[in-house]
Amino acid sequence: MKKGQKHQYGEKNFSLWLVGAAVMHVVVFFLAFYFQIWDAGRHSKPKTVTITLVSLPGSGASRENSDSGAAAEAISTPSQAVAPPPAPLPVSKKSVKAPVPAPAPVLVPEKASVLPKKISVDPLKPKTIEKKPDISQALERLKQNVDKKTAQSPQPSSNALNNALARLQQKVKSEGGATGTGTGKGSGQGASSAGQNGAGKGSGGGGTADSYKAQIASIINQNWSFSKQLLKKSFGMEVYVRINILADGTIRQILFDKRSPSEYLNISVKKALEKSSPLPVLPKEEGSRDVWIGFVFTPEGIE
Amino acid sequence: MLDLRLGIFGMLSDAGVVVLLVLSLLLLFSIISWAIIAFKFGYLRKSLRESKAFLDYFFEVSNVDKVFTESENFRYGSLPRVFRSGYIEYRALGDKGDIRQARARIARAVKREVNAENKRLAALVPFLATVGNTAPFIGLFGTVWGIMNSFHTIGLTQSASLAAVAPGISEALIATAAGLAAAIPAVIAYNSFTQKISVIERDLEEFAPEFVAAFINEP
Repeated sequence: MKKGQKHQYGEKNFSLWLVGAAVMHVVVFFLAFYFQIWDAGRHSKPKTVTITLVSLPGSGASRENSDSGAAAEAISTPSQAVAPPPAPLPVSKKSVKAPVPAPAPVLVPEKASVLPKKISVDPLKPKTIEKKPDISQALERLKQNVDKKTAQSPQPSSNALNNALARLQQKVKSEGGATGTGTGKGSGQGASSAGQNGAGKGSGGGGTADSYKAQIASIINQNWSFSKQLLKKSFGMEVYVRINILADGTIRQILFDKRSPSEYLNISVKKALEKSSPLPVLPKEEGSRDVWIGFVFTPEGIE
Repeated sequence: MLDLRLGIFGMLSDAGVVVLLVLSLLLLFSIISWAIIAFKFGYLRKSLRESKAFLDYFFEVSNVDKVFTESENFRYGSLPRVFRSGYIEYRALGDKGDIRQARARIARAVKREVNAENKRLAALVPFLATVGNTAPFIGLFGTVWGIMNSFHTIGLTQSASLAAVAPGISEALIATAAGLAAAIPAVIAYNSFTQKISVIERDLEEFAPEFVAAFINEP
């Protein structure tokens, strides 16, 4: 009887230790989890501001916005026109008098040649809104610099400037409203002419661009070898991608605006796009320029 | 927002069923191992300490009745337990007419308690040896399985880029890491406990005849 009691006591004691060990493991797991978060936070890179200075050459989504009057207004306020396209930053419209951003680089040719290079690094990050105060300051500084330069520039060069502005106006007309936010004729999913920051979701466009986009979407879909069964999870499986198409249909650049958690899906999309190049020649309406077209790839297909 | 998918837990969430099963088994092994380690560590330490204290008292005092009374204070010591069982048998004999028979009965009772004590000391310890020996192999199995699946996926995606290969292999290697994490403490504890248990067993073997002699020679 006494031995039985002792044995029971020993078992109870061991059960306590078992529970203690389980708790210890849980604690270790939580510590590891929080260490991971802490460590990731320690090594996180600071967010950059330059990503907001995007001015990709967009296609003519809403040509009504790119009237000469608007362009002229942009010329009179050149520094403001350098502001990023208002699509991701609707609030900044208040400070920007002219909605057409393209003319600015002409007045500041050195900077204009630099800006597109920065764009190609990572043009579409949703963090831009957080950094808006810095951007406005930068714009103010830029405006002051441009005003100084225009004030200091000698009169004889005004002809050259006028010529440059005329060329720019022409270019803006041909490109259409790069900031096309849906005020154009076409509405709906005309994402083919997304414009600068459209990320494939910009409205406007319509007409030939839509048919061209449908055509290349069909081609990409044919070249896309992807099996839904290989995905372990289906949540968040979306790839936002933009492609830069030259006039001859060659895909010059592929930009992933948003990658999916599955590398398999990402790689399959990239391979499909690479395989689809060259695409059909751009419609004549687009001229000899290159265009950016955005797609959303999901396991269900291309949107 | 921090990208937690890059960490261990992100890898675990992407791991396959077999790898998760292996990891669960290893987690269970680890929990039981640590419980045994904690339980046995305290038990053996008390047993060693009380046995030593009891032996000191036993050689100081020649009266077995006093020693028995004192032995009640050493509840966890192996030597006090053996002594108590011998003393109970000695008292059960009543008259000491046949010394040879009495010696045999006491020796038998002591031996039985020594055996019981050996079993008690060694209980659960072999599980540590099992974990120490098998956990790395179980982890290795999970790794091999994970890498097998990883290569299969590589074949299906037709891409051998590092981005396609590395995640699967890193997921698979977690199983080996978990196996080693379970095995290493188990092996260390097993070696330590085996050494302590052998010390106690040696004491039991050496002092059990002393106890029998003490009862028989009792005036």
